[in-house]
Amino acid sequence: MSGNGSPSTYDAIVIGGGHNGLTCAAFLARDGLRVLVLEKSEQPGGMAATSEILPSVRVPTLAHTVGRLRPKVARELRLREHGLALLGPEVRAFAPSLDGSPGVTLWADISRTVNELTGLAGRGVIPLRDVAAYADADRQLLALGSGLGALMGRVPPDIGHPSLADALAGVLSGLEAGSRAHSEGGGLLRVLPMAVSDLVGEWFESDALGALVAARGVQYTSFGPLMPGTAQVLVADAAGHGGGIAGQSVMVRGGPGVLGAALATAVEAAGGEVRLGAEVARVTRTGDRATGVVLASGDELDASIVVSGLDPKRTLLDLLEPEALGPRLSWRASNIRTHGATAKVNLALSGLPTFSSLAGASSEEQAARLRGRIVFAPDVDWLERATRAAKHGRLPEAPYMEATIPTLLDRTLLGEGRKGEAGRVEQVMSVIVQAAPYELRDGSWEERRGELGDLVLETLERFAPGIGELAVERQVITPLDIERDWGATGGHPLHVEAGLDQWFAWRPLHGYGRYRMPLAGLYLCGSGAHPGGGLTGGPGMLAAQEILADWSTGRLRASA
Amino acid sequence: MAERYDAVVIGGGHNGLTAAAYLARAGWSVIVLERREVLGGATVTEEVFPGFKFSVASYVVSLLRPDIIRDLELARHGLQVLPVDGTLTPVGQGEGEYLWRVDDHGRKVRELRRWSKADAEAYDEYSLLMSEMARFVKPMLDEGPPRAGGFDPRGMLGMATLARRFAALPEPQQTAFIQLLTMPSADFVSQWFETEPLRATLAASGIIGTFLSVRSPGSAYVLLHHYMGEVDGEYRAWGLPRGGTGAISGAIAAAAREAGAELRTDAPVARVNVRDGRATGVTLASGDEIEAGAVLSSADVRRTLVDLLEPGTLASEDEAAVRRFQFRGSSGKVNFALSRLPTFKCLPPGTTDHYRGMVSLSPSIDYLDRAYDDAVDGRFSTRPYVDMGFPSVIDPSVAPPGKHVMACFVQYAPFRLAPELGTWEDQREAFGDAVQNAIAEYAPDIHDCVLHRQVLTPWDIEQRFGLSEGNIFQGELLLEQLFNNRPLPGAGYRTPVKNLWLCGSSAHPGGAISGAPGRNAAREVLGSVGRGRQEKVA
Repeated sequence: MSGNGSPSTYDAIVIGGGHNGLTCAAFLARDGLRVLVLEKSEQPGGMAATSEILPSVRVPTLAHTVGRLRPKVARELRLREHGLALLGPEVRAFAPSLDGSPGVTLWADISRTVNELTGLAGRGVIPLRDVAAYADADRQLLALGSGLGALMGRVPPDIGHPSLADALAGVLSGLEAGSRAHSEGGGLLRVLPMAVSDLVGEWFESDALGALVAARGVQYTSFGPLMPGTAQVLVADAAGHGGGIAGQSVMVRGGPGVLGAALATAVEAAGGEVRLGAEVARVTRTGDRATGVVLASGDELDASIVVSGLDPKRTLLDLLEPEALGPRLSWRASNIRTHGATAKVNLALSGLPTFSSLAGASSEEQAARLRGRIVFAPDVDWLERATRAAKHGRLPEAPYMEATIPTLLDRTLLGEGRKGEAGRVEQVMSVIVQAAPYELRDGSWEERRGELGDLVLETLERFAPGIGELAVERQVITPLDIERDWGATGGHPLHVEAGLDQWFAWRPLHGYGRYRMPLAGLYLCGSGAHPGGGLTGGPGMLAAQEILADWSTGRLRASA
Repeated sequence: MAERYDAVVIGGGHNGLTAAAYLARAGWSVIVLERREVLGGATVTEEVFPGFKFSVASYVVSLLRPDIIRDLELARHGLQVLPVDGTLTPVGQGEGEYLWRVDDHGRKVRELRRWSKADAEAYDEYSLLMSEMARFVKPMLDEGPPRAGGFDPRGMLGMATLARRFAALPEPQQTAFIQLLTMPSADFVSQWFETEPLRATLAASGIIGTFLSVRSPGSAYVLLHHYMGEVDGEYRAWGLPRGGTGAISGAIAAAAREAGAELRTDAPVARVNVRDGRATGVTLASGDEIEAGAVLSSADVRRTLVDLLEPGTLASEDEAAVRRFQFRGSSGKVNFALSRLPTFKCLPPGTTDHYRGMVSLSPSIDYLDRAYDDAVDGRFSTRPYVDMGFPSVIDPSVAPPGKHVMACFVQYAPFRLAPELGTWEDQREAFGDAVQNAIAEYAPDIHDCVLHRQVLTPWDIEQRFGLSEGNIFQGELLLEQLFNNRPLPGAGYRTPVKNLWLCGSSAHPGGAISGAPGRNAAREVLGSVGRGRQEKVA
């Protein structure tokens, strides 16, 4: 097929049918390009996945909330029509305590939160000044989030180019000024490089409240809360939605896999094609121009546009031969930081666990607080210790965890006619676990998978005694699994570590922050590109924007 | 009747003296008020034990701005910098268990090749890159901070200039600059090198004076900060002033005095006097008042704006901004008087050249990171990072004949100890022992060499030098506390109080013996008169 001068069947091939690959493909197809998505697994959606832990018992396999999905992606790709239904509980986050004292609950309705915090202050659980601080902090984070959200919604400037560099300075200055007007705490340029522990320390005296918020600054990263730049992770998590300090807790009816399926449907509705079970072995090229892909099956497919939804290390180092990059770029790509520290444990439970913080409350009230994110980090030190173990290659004594119990919102996860063990399942619990180092000092993840599952259950037991008895089945996904099954180098769920050194116009590499990779016609559209990881669709959408801009110039059609 | 000056400078540290010298040279009447009985602040030589002269706090010089040396003719005023050659990193006691980089290129390459051929090849490329980076940031040190934010046209222009200069760099330097501002120093250097002690020793420059791990993002900036130095035009060259670091402040003081400045010791300032939002002078602890058109404080920003102002002077949001500024001292200093030099077992017997350089206890990244973990828990490091020198080898004037001085900069020693440890006064000698034991891991005879030991904990550094929380840089060198945000967003050397200026390390470009904050502040003060913003009393 290649090299015979006949026109390609496809204008664009998207490698990887993760949510960003599909988003990108759908936008390209909508503009009339002939698009093919090649996905290695049998499910579209990548990390937006649902799996059966027991027959007819479904759990969010990896990600469990989708509150950061860009509204523009959902709207323009008409995901609702394609089956996406979002569920937003009244509760955003609940942080249980270890000692049975009432935990902290953050509600979508800020006045409800403030009322509750006032009650907690009355009982001496948090200092009274934190109640007033909460509203201030919420305002400040909303302002910061909207400032950063503006940056995250755009293709980054080419800062290597003089005139645009000037523009960047202007943009940053304007943002700084803009957000300063909204917040007494100084603008983005002050806040983004901070350690999230310092930022929450400026807001709150209470460690319980501080840790609940600070956890968002380390989530999915290998960072501890004392590390500079983690404030950026928090602000990015607050960008693009009005969640503020409480954050988001949006779930998908039927599980996150429905998002993947809806995106795949959107691609097809726009005339694109999604091929499952099709693993790409490498990208083909002529000189410095991408010409298509070779599948693991040996089939060759031509296209003048090749878009990779894979992480940049895999894209540059595995899909291209070293000569295509040259020594410097190979070296730079190999230094992209991708040390994953996130694992996942999913549980099928025979009943709703009882948290000691909620003991005595009615079952309806317990459920009301457990429908959002349940954050297991009683203090900032907990987060620090969990990360510290991981950076030395050990499992922590007590991991940081964020759990959801999606069956409290969505009974469709439990199919009809469950039998045997599955028949006992009343709830499922999805637990994101940190910090589980990709590189273990002792043993392998294959040997230690069970240990991680035990550790999570033991830790949960400290907050919700008896939960172990309720566990009918468990699924443990290690960083090695994330690398193997989802293709993310180092098992990093964000593809590329969320540090300021791999951020914005220089994510994943300075000079390659605008989705264009070193071969003409080769693009990056995954989480390793701006604006980064999480189920946002942002990189996919912005990459499509740039690809379409290049396509419209006609330069990319030369090979067709 | 109060005395009157054009300017009063609070604090006779090297920055206060530098500011005073520049103001006096411009024809201003200036008085410097120093709390202690000696000038120099943390740039001081003191005879702590008879015959042994310690550079009590700061111990090497590199970052002193060359134009200050020229402008103030410091050489004529007695400053002589003796080069320090090489860094030895012992990694064990067995022979050959060390990495020893010396200035001599051939020897250095041979030594690096002993560890890794690839590292030996990468080393020159790395060194060149870092020199280029130092050159790139140099204008930022010598001018004020680039001002982001606000719609101040001068600020926008500054940012645009920075952006243009950045855009003119080749890609490798652009990349390195971004990484230096944002990366962990360990990851930064590991891009080039695989030899563990080399990685660790280079990365350790990223934690000096800062409560960060080599694995913390942001530590690469501190690394760059330490590369900004030049001695005789050569970047990243370190030297020892003859007579100790006190000789630097001595020379600057001489220059200031010659230009007509009055330098008064034993003159602690109790308060900055403010009338109608304007600083009018100071009141000394003695009760004496001094009036001045401009008050410059080389004390840190917290001391200046919280301790020296009448409560309520600052608007509450300004005071909140001052209180947000992080200090978090994390270093200590242990100065030894030695009967003889300790023997590092890893070196061939009879080796002496390493005493002319530094010895760095930084065998691995993990070693340094664990030292940090201790500090996060509120304990001093069991096995600390130690950067030590032997000034008496290069400059015999600082010790009695045949005897020696050994200066040890130590990290980490957190200002705030865990409650169960009590106070730093309780822990001072235990800390000194930890340092001595860490050295003994490589030079077991150290215990037999020690005649006397002076241990400075962060608490001592605060008490003795007035540095809040014992932070040697007058505030952490964190990205959010640098450039335009140092120490208060957008303020530069100004403070919310008119006529009250900051001229110490709390201000841009931050700590170390650079003189840049003092010189830059003086220039701003002088410039503001030209624009009619400052009332010169004369």
